[in-house]
Amino acid sequence: MKGKTNWRSQQRNAWLAGLMPSIILLVVITLLPAMALVITSLTPLSLTNPQETFNFSDPLINYRQLLEDPRFLNSIITQIKLSLVSVLFQVIIGLGLALLLNGTSAWLHTARTLFLIPMVLPPIIVALIWKIIYTPDISPLHQVLELWGITLNSLIANPATALWAIAVADIWQWFPFTMLMVLAALQMIPRDPLEAASLDGASARNIFRYIVLPYIKPVLVVCALFRLIDSFKAFPLIYILTDGGPGTVTEVTNYYGFIQAFNFSYWGYGSAIAVVILVGVFVLSYIIGKAGWSDERKASA
Amino acid sequence: MSEKLALEHVSGNVRRRKHFRLRGSREVATWLLLLAVLSPFLWMVLMAFRPAIEVFDLTLWFTPTLDAFRALWQGNFLHSFGNSLLVSTLSTGLSLVIGVPAAWVLTRWQFPGRRYVALWILVTRMAPPIAFTIPFYLAWRWLGLQDTVIGLAIVYLTFTLAIVIWLMQTFFAAVPPALEEAAWLDGCSIWRTFWTITLPLVAPGLAATAILCFIFSWNDFFYALILTRTQAVTAPVAIVNFLQYEGWEWSKIAASGTLVMLPVVAFTLLVRRYLVHGLTAGGLKD
Repeated sequence: MKGKTNWRSQQRNAWLAGLMPSIILLVVITLLPAMALVITSLTPLSLTNPQETFNFSDPLINYRQLLEDPRFLNSIITQIKLSLVSVLFQVIIGLGLALLLNGTSAWLHTARTLFLIPMVLPPIIVALIWKIIYTPDISPLHQVLELWGITLNSLIANPATALWAIAVADIWQWFPFTMLMVLAALQMIPRDPLEAASLDGASARNIFRYIVLPYIKPVLVVCALFRLIDSFKAFPLIYILTDGGPGTVTEVTNYYGFIQAFNFSYWGYGSAIAVVILVGVFVLSYIIGKAGWSDERKASA
Repeated sequence: MSEKLALEHVSGNVRRRKHFRLRGSREVATWLLLLAVLSPFLWMVLMAFRPAIEVFDLTLWFTPTLDAFRALWQGNFLHSFGNSLLVSTLSTGLSLVIGVPAAWVLTRWQFPGRRYVALWILVTRMAPPIAFTIPFYLAWRWLGLQDTVIGLAIVYLTFTLAIVIWLMQTFFAAVPPALEEAAWLDGCSIWRTFWTITLPLVAPGLAATAILCFIFSWNDFFYALILTRTQAVTAPVAIVNFLQYEGWEWSKIAASGTLVMLPVVAFTLLVRRYLVHGLTAGGLKD
């Protein structure tokens, strides 16, 4: 009996020894910075006022300013427009391709793998690829259109099209994500109901609508939420293609935060913007958790 | 009865023929779509091999040349390429050494706070980089870690550690605990069991995790842009510098892009199966 408790406490210590380095490191590199961010957001710290690090005389000044900053409010609207459009098309295109590519033959497997390329490219390369497409001098797109007698002005220099040009590049980059997830879900659909339905003469459309779609709906929802959260981080595309312009047409919230913090060196104000984005991300993550997609829930189910 | 059978036979025949035709057109449609989708990407690769004077031409007929790559070889690009390699290797190595044991403990030991640790890791995966960049930027200025490879590698741990802990948990869960318990009963210590029994069993998973960590570090642009200046510049930042300061040398730019993406594309297609886990931080079953 004594030996057993001894073994238990030894085991416990061994577990702790393995776990603690990670926990400590995670606290230092994620929890501390997160706290520092919130604290900085309560001060007017900037490059020109380094002495303001611990000036908490008016802690909410940055947040009050945000509410009255038209450029910030505008950036949220831009963000919502960009996110909704790109996520919508990513889900639709990803779903369509997944249905097209679902199967077991070898060529389908190859095609599936090749379709993943846009997603696995370094984001900066994706931005570079679309910079080439959108720069009239060297763009194959512009040149082909010119052959047909259509002169297209630069899409990224035109305020009416710049945001949608970025959305196209973003959709191109991330549709494979939805495709991959939906394919995984499609392969988990049990065969029986599909076979029964097709034996009973159900049309392909009805099979999709009443059998396939209900099965993959949770995956679609989770995909959309994941993409929505990630779309808040869109940076390289905007940095390379438009730099937030023309004017502030493509300036999303994340980009505005970057400009405030690192172009203007208003660190306090930039932190406040980052905190706002963080809160948005938390809320959406919470929704994902509620949608029943955390590992915990799966384990207990 | 026999009538019905005959009918079924006929309709089966029809379906099979229709199916065959469908498959033919499906194959064609797939490859055409693939070509269309990948054409922007292929165009950049072609551009890298184009002679500099023909870079503005639409034609696909040109004599490929390695001039652009040669120019990169002579320039400063290799330095940033080396930095990218170093920083990615360093952060991958560190996160494996620290994260793998933790992942094993989290799979095997059901302690009360386990849920919160898992949740916190998921949250760090979701958090936007800008939230971490401002504090790190200020701290690194103060600590003198700005523009150093080690400083950047530490920042990359914010996401590589999360990847390791999430991914390795799924691999460890697949190892039967009975194997480990048997070793414990024979008097093997916990960490020796881990080293000699568990770890060899998850070797393929470990390789996949390492590759994913490497790729995520390699692909990063935002942190490198802000936390480096000249010494520790990584390849993605070097490409952007080309774009901004040598914007007319398109074949050189395309060549640098091709060099940076090649290892990534090759590796990721290798670990395709684990990509879903890596991207959703284990939030979704493959």
